[in-house]
Amino acid sequence: MSKDYIVIHPCNIFSQGKADENFEIVDMYDLPNIELSSYKCMVILGFVDQEFLQEKKQIIADFLASKKIVCFFGNLVTDWLPGQQAFIAKDIRNHWDYDISIAKQHVIFDGVKEEEMTINKGVKGFFARGHHPAPADAEILLTLPEGEPVTFIDRSSTNGTIFMHAGNNLFTIGGMIPSTLKTTSRIPAQLMQWVQEEYKYLAEERINRCVK
Amino acid sequence: MRKIAVMYSGSSQHWRTYKTSEFARYIDQLIPVRQLEEANLEAFDVLIIPSQTHTGLLDQNIQKIYDFANTGKVVVTFGPQHRDWLPMHKWEFRPTNFWWWLEPNADSGLRLLETTHDLFKNYITLEDATWHQHGVYWPSEGCEVLVSTNDGGAVLYIDRVNTNGVWVNTTLDPDYHFGSYFMPATERFLRGFLPWLKKGQI
Repeated sequence: MSKDYIVIHPCNIFSQGKADENFEIVDMYDLPNIELSSYKCMVILGFVDQEFLQEKKQIIADFLASKKIVCFFGNLVTDWLPGQQAFIAKDIRNHWDYDISIAKQHVIFDGVKEEEMTINKGVKGFFARGHHPAPADAEILLTLPEGEPVTFIDRSSTNGTIFMHAGNNLFTIGGMIPSTLKTTSRIPAQLMQWVQEEYKYLAEERINRCVK
Repeated sequence: MRKIAVMYSGSSQHWRTYKTSEFARYIDQLIPVRQLEEANLEAFDVLIIPSQTHTGLLDQNIQKIYDFANTGKVVVTFGPQHRDWLPMHKWEFRPTNFWWWLEPNADSGLRLLETTHDLFKNYITLEDATWHQHGVYWPSEGCEVLVSTNDGGAVLYIDRVNTNGVWVNTTLDPDYHFGSYFMPATERFLRGFLPWLKKGQI
């Protein structure tokens, strides 16, 4: 069965664990050797070697140029993702500084409670501890208290779509296992649903452009 | 002053901790993990194996790390390891309690066994080494356990007996946490631990 998602995996301990069957997991250092044309979405996890990705940035740019989706989870520190700016950590002065707000209702976070993203067993900060400045036309989904975009969708920097989340991966790919008792457990399936819709949208847009 | 090299993964966590933060000045060379196999380590006195390293590339370089240690040098390992590869490695996994400090009469469970050791006498306190652990080591006889859990499992120990070099092994992962902007104690730990590696009595 062909898989829709390719996961650029850092192969560190904290990223190990069970992944959804739709994900093809590859060692990040194998990226230059992989035929990417069959994948709809490239998932890049937060422990990846970003100096290596900077060397191979053209591969990612080409993937996006072919109307595909890239989802990045983590803190961007080098220049490998088109149109994106470096991570800015939140300066913590108050106990609410890590509070997450839903900036816009969206299928990915439908039915997910803000406080359940913000708080994990009474502790804040697991979800995101900073942000990436968003491109002007980005669709901002989640923010920190001063409006900093934690999670956004960028359809303007490339011909494809970039999903940026300044935190842990929101799919089910190893790492900490989300509690099934919390509304945050809805996110992985809803994110996958969005990827499918977004891929269809990108494909239809391509057809429309061809017709024009 | 010892010359310190780091097996560097290029992740955002390592990028912050070892390359761009206040701690970069203690590091003489970052050796990209994918280039370690060819790297010449002769000039260095200390090799840090950070937490959250690529497990496959670590496996490929284990003999090289042992060879480095066996020339009388210092190897430092942070965090839980993906498999038993340290000298006389005896690891016991324990679920991480991120929330111990919220409990009534909170006790991290950590105990400082070597109060007169240079690291704890002149560089850091037990509180600076206190956030959470991912498990414990049960080092072989002759190893020096500096910090343990209250049931005797080693959280930070020094092994001078199983190779011709010195291994400073800890289940703590301050480099990951500092690089992730998570756990303020890790900043204090690194502010003492790295100067100690540089010029302290190991």
